[in-house]
Amino acid sequence: MNGLWKIVLLGVVMAILLLFALGLKNDPRDIPSPLVNRPANDFTAPALEGDQPVRLSAHRGQWVLVNFWGSWCVSCVAEHPYLMELAKQTKKRTDFVMLGVDFRDNPDSARAFLARHGNPGYAHAQDPEQKIAIDWGVYGAPESYLVDPNGTIRMKHTGPLFPGWFEQRALPLMQGAVK
Amino acid sequence: MWIEIAHFSTLIALMLAALLLIAPLIGVRWQRVVWIRVARQAAFMICALLTLASAGLIASFLNHDFSVKYVAEHASLKLPVFYLATAMWGGHEGSLLLWTWMLSLFVAIAAWKHWKTHPVSMPWVLSINGGLLLGFLLLVVFLSSPFERLLSPPADGRDLNPLLQDPGMVFHPPFLYMGYVGFAIPYAFAMAALITSQGDSEWILATRRWTLFSWAMLTIGIVFGAYWAYYELGWGGYWAWDPVENASFMPWLTGLAFLHSVMVQERRRMFKTWNLFLIITTFALSLLGTFLVRSGVLSSVHAFATDPGRGVYILIFMSALLLFSFGLLTAKSDQLRETPQLESPWSKEFSFLINNLFLVAGACTVLLGTLYPLAIETLSTAKVSVGAPYYNKVFIPIMLGMLALMGLGPLIPWQRASLAKLRQEFLPAGIIGLLGMVVAPLIGINHLSGAIATGLILFVGTTHLTDLLRNTKTRMSRESLTAPGAFLRLVTRNKRRYGGMLVHLGTLVMVAGFVGSGLFQEERDLFLAKGDSMRIGSWSLTLESMEKTARRNWQADEAVIRAERPGEATLTLRPQKRVYSENSQPTTEAAIHSSWREDLYVVLGDGVKDGVWAFRIYRTPLVAWIWVGSGIMVVGVFWAMLQGRRLQRRAP
Repeated sequence: MNGLWKIVLLGVVMAILLLFALGLKNDPRDIPSPLVNRPANDFTAPALEGDQPVRLSAHRGQWVLVNFWGSWCVSCVAEHPYLMELAKQTKKRTDFVMLGVDFRDNPDSARAFLARHGNPGYAHAQDPEQKIAIDWGVYGAPESYLVDPNGTIRMKHTGPLFPGWFEQRALPLMQGAVK
Repeated sequence: MWIEIAHFSTLIALMLAALLLIAPLIGVRWQRVVWIRVARQAAFMICALLTLASAGLIASFLNHDFSVKYVAEHASLKLPVFYLATAMWGGHEGSLLLWTWMLSLFVAIAAWKHWKTHPVSMPWVLSINGGLLLGFLLLVVFLSSPFERLLSPPADGRDLNPLLQDPGMVFHPPFLYMGYVGFAIPYAFAMAALITSQGDSEWILATRRWTLFSWAMLTIGIVFGAYWAYYELGWGGYWAWDPVENASFMPWLTGLAFLHSVMVQERRRMFKTWNLFLIITTFALSLLGTFLVRSGVLSSVHAFATDPGRGVYILIFMSALLLFSFGLLTAKSDQLRETPQLESPWSKEFSFLINNLFLVAGACTVLLGTLYPLAIETLSTAKVSVGAPYYNKVFIPIMLGMLALMGLGPLIPWQRASLAKLRQEFLPAGIIGLLGMVVAPLIGINHLSGAIATGLILFVGTTHLTDLLRNTKTRMSRESLTAPGAFLRLVTRNKRRYGGMLVHLGTLVMVAGFVGSGLFQEERDLFLAKGDSMRIGSWSLTLESMEKTARRNWQADEAVIRAERPGEATLTLRPQKRVYSENSQPTTEAAIHSSWREDLYVVLGDGVKDGVWAFRIYRTPLVAWIWVGSGIMVVGVFWAMLQGRRLQRRAP
């Protein structure tokens, strides 16, 4: 093997390894949504509990966390404790509200889910035919969207929200630190 | 109880693997054979211990021991026994244990079979494999242990992923791993040859059966995966160029290149460095496959474990291995003497060289397509995916080139051929091939690559049959045998050559399947209510009724569809939409009617409103040829493996 080939061979091997090393930091679930920075599709849907329908545009002027979930979704169980905590933690904030969208589900199983794993107390829209979910480009569960006071989607999070998500991801956006 | 036995034996195996790594080095350094013997015994014991460990994990599954975390996550009380026993590799941790167990088994076999015949290489082979086993056992024990207990065991497990409850999926991983792991042995022999500066042909002869075996297993594994994707995933296709599919395909390509180029080294003492490069690359790509699946670097349907800790560990392990192997290759390769040079471009050597270039170029395009999204995502914030259009554009021409070369194989002589002779040899086959390309569009293959492929299939088929006929005739006259007798004698005397030719013929059958299914698939999406009919190809399909059905661990909506075709018996197809447990999403069970001509493939979608259901229906010509062709290939490889070492003494 002559010198040039040796350098090429070792160079290619190193480049691939380096790429992997850098690539380990990527989160494969972090897929940019084309809906970010677009106006959110408004929805009005029957609530899971109570007679008052859930309407997104009723929360204009507030930041809204829209969380898509279903009782059939295993990762939603893992996410649930954080949603409970976040709901408690932000209860006093007037600029932030949470909404759930229970999609492709039947309301009884969803209510049973809340009875079993705890009820965070915010409103959930029923979306058994996944009309809202399709409008919003949801392809798995859980998925969460952060909608700003003007009704524009500012962020999408695929997979369970993690403890500290609000402080690390949502607050910088809400305080205008990140455009 | 069982799981503790498994855990404990794995821990002992881990310590013995360290011994296996170090003892032979001591033996070589201080010329003490006893240390090498100790290492050999360690290899046997590691195999026995890991067999026990795997048995222990399987026993925990069979006993429904849900206090074992891995069992609780991958089985349930309702899971049938067959899937219970094979759920061992239904997840990340168990798959790694399976992989390591297979490696230990192969190392033990190598230590047993090659002990007397390869005394110089043996210490290095043992030590290198000790390093590999140590690396994987550290991963199994510390970072992804299948032996963990749960403090409060659940009453029932979470069940095996419904998509994995399929025979295709049961056999896909073990065969694939056997292929991956099998290359570890030739790799270790190659490294031993480099270290001891005996890069001549001994290691190649020692590992011929290992490489054939591994390549055959890889073939079976990949085809089972494709078969599973076709039968279970309900999208009408079998290959999606998913990163992890590619990861198994790359070592297959380089392994195939290696299988061809070793023949040149055996016969003509050429390509020595190249062969070392190929086997190292093949094994490295096998590890890359594991890395891609297990680290979550690339997102894919297979990446069920996203865990950066494991990713970092596998990356460090792989870097050490790659830098060691390729570093050694570059440092030592100058000592290899390449004796004769290529004498003529009209020779078998040269056709093998081109074959290798095509195969390696193919592997490079797949590697590029697989890594490009990763590179883009890492270096910028965008996400891209490279899909079938890229691969079809780049890969199909390469494969057509391969096919053309395959036709040269049997008729082109070693060293040097006269052009006049070649012209005479290839004229009939060439004419038949060209005629095929011209006629193909007239019989409906109105596709450039399809027509070329058809012509090439005829060309390759003709050269192979010419060779078979001619050699049978020679034997008939020389040994005064009947035609079948002479044929039998021919293919049993040189099993390697005719095994190889059978692999080629199997490839032709597969290519026909690719042309048919890739270019001529028909697809319909539609809603049907009870009594509605539709047509696809010459079939007419009627939805007779919708039923509910259930088995032990699932229930399903089932459509009963009557399929009729003029002049044929009426069929009933029953596609299902299954729900396995309340926690899982529904899965589809396509109803497939398979024949040599075409597959009719019906997928039941969602119910739209009362009594109206969505259906997707495919008519795919020649799919079955892919499965049959791969079967022929595997038989061919095994036939070639039966050949002993007798032949190579007739070197020129």
